[in-house]
Amino acid sequence: MRVALDLLGGDAAPGPVVDGALLVLAEQPDVDLVLVGPPEVAARLPVDGERLTVVPATEVVGMDEEPARAVRAKRDATVRVCARLVRDGSADAMVSLGSTGATLAAAVLTLHRLKGVSRPPLAAVVPALAGPVVFLDAGATVEASPELLASFALVGAAYAAARGVERPRVGLLTVGEEAGKGDLARKAAHEALSALPVDFVGNVEGRDVPTGGRADVVVTDGFTGNVLAKGLEAAAGTVTATVRAALASRGDVPDDVLDAVDAATGHMSPEVLGGAVLLGVRGVVVVGHGASTPRGVASCVRAAADAARSDLVGRTARALEALVPAVPQPAVSQSQGGPA
Amino acid sequence: MTPDEVLDVVREAVVVVLEVDPAAVTRETRLREDLEADSLALVEIVEIVEERLSATAAGFSVDDEELDGLTTVGEAADLALAKLAGR
Repeated sequence: MRVALDLLGGDAAPGPVVDGALLVLAEQPDVDLVLVGPPEVAARLPVDGERLTVVPATEVVGMDEEPARAVRAKRDATVRVCARLVRDGSADAMVSLGSTGATLAAAVLTLHRLKGVSRPPLAAVVPALAGPVVFLDAGATVEASPELLASFALVGAAYAAARGVERPRVGLLTVGEEAGKGDLARKAAHEALSALPVDFVGNVEGRDVPTGGRADVVVTDGFTGNVLAKGLEAAAGTVTATVRAALASRGDVPDDVLDAVDAATGHMSPEVLGGAVLLGVRGVVVVGHGASTPRGVASCVRAAADAARSDLVGRTARALEALVPAVPQPAVSQSQGGPA
Repeated sequence: MTPDEVLDVVREAVVVVLEVDPAAVTRETRLREDLEADSLALVEIVEIVEERLSATAAGFSVDDEELDGLTTVGEAADLALAKLAGR
């Protein structure tokens, strides 16, 4: 598997990205990297033209720029070059820790969307107690209409099916289980999701994401999703730190017990989970936390390689085709070529 | 290209990006108000139109500033036609 890695994405880039690339080379022998960024940044890496290559790109889309216009204007932006490598088959997947909006724009403008996906959502797979929960949108689109939430439900169900869930149960995240719970948007979304050809189980609450059991797919807008995702991650980290401190204060706790505490709670850490997949575009795109450490970068690369290896995009597209009603399409095809 | 051919190029791009019924896209259709096109969708439409028109006019492109005043599908087609004629 060959993964394109955006060297200039991330709050402290390129340092953690470069160090993350070194971890990938050491720990993931079946993954080759294409580093996209200024060649001088990659100078301290063992570029050999095989496991590690560099594609020059010097522009970056800033967090304060309007993503669509900026990506359009900066054809040489690292994130857009990454997407182009995936589109052209020079990479099997891409990873960026930069602006989510810029990654979304680069993916949509270069790779294009799957039919039925008006706005690609970010999907995180939460290792819930009762089994994995696909949680979307984790932060790609802050405001979502009921129709957009219905679109998320379809592509989320398709993604869960592609991951092996036979008939995914889809829940709508709100503040109570009864159908009338939530704000006006949530009430309208409940009606929209009820009409979909998916196993809609109704409303679910925040606790259903980490515990699982009620729904295999939990749908919400990117604002709420991002707040909940970061809250869950921080809660897991706080539990880990608190339990470790309590055990350490005893003074006689073996290291393997402390390691077990880390393992039990660390699976909720973004450092381990490996970012979120941008669903509904014609290529594997993984978006990592801007504040990721090198370990988090390596986890994102692993997640991207795994998704590409298992043809997750192709299987999601086929599952989605079965869910989206056939509508007449014009002769123009989004899958063939397209602007750079 | 004739005005109708350019309009067809724009209409096709709109239909593909926004996944709307082709019959619902006329010269008078408003991109933002009627079709709820957001900034990303508008850029996506423009890039598809640029790609299609570049086949007959190499390097055809639209400046970002020219997009700001566009409201309807017909205005977008007229802009494209004017740029083609001015080349």
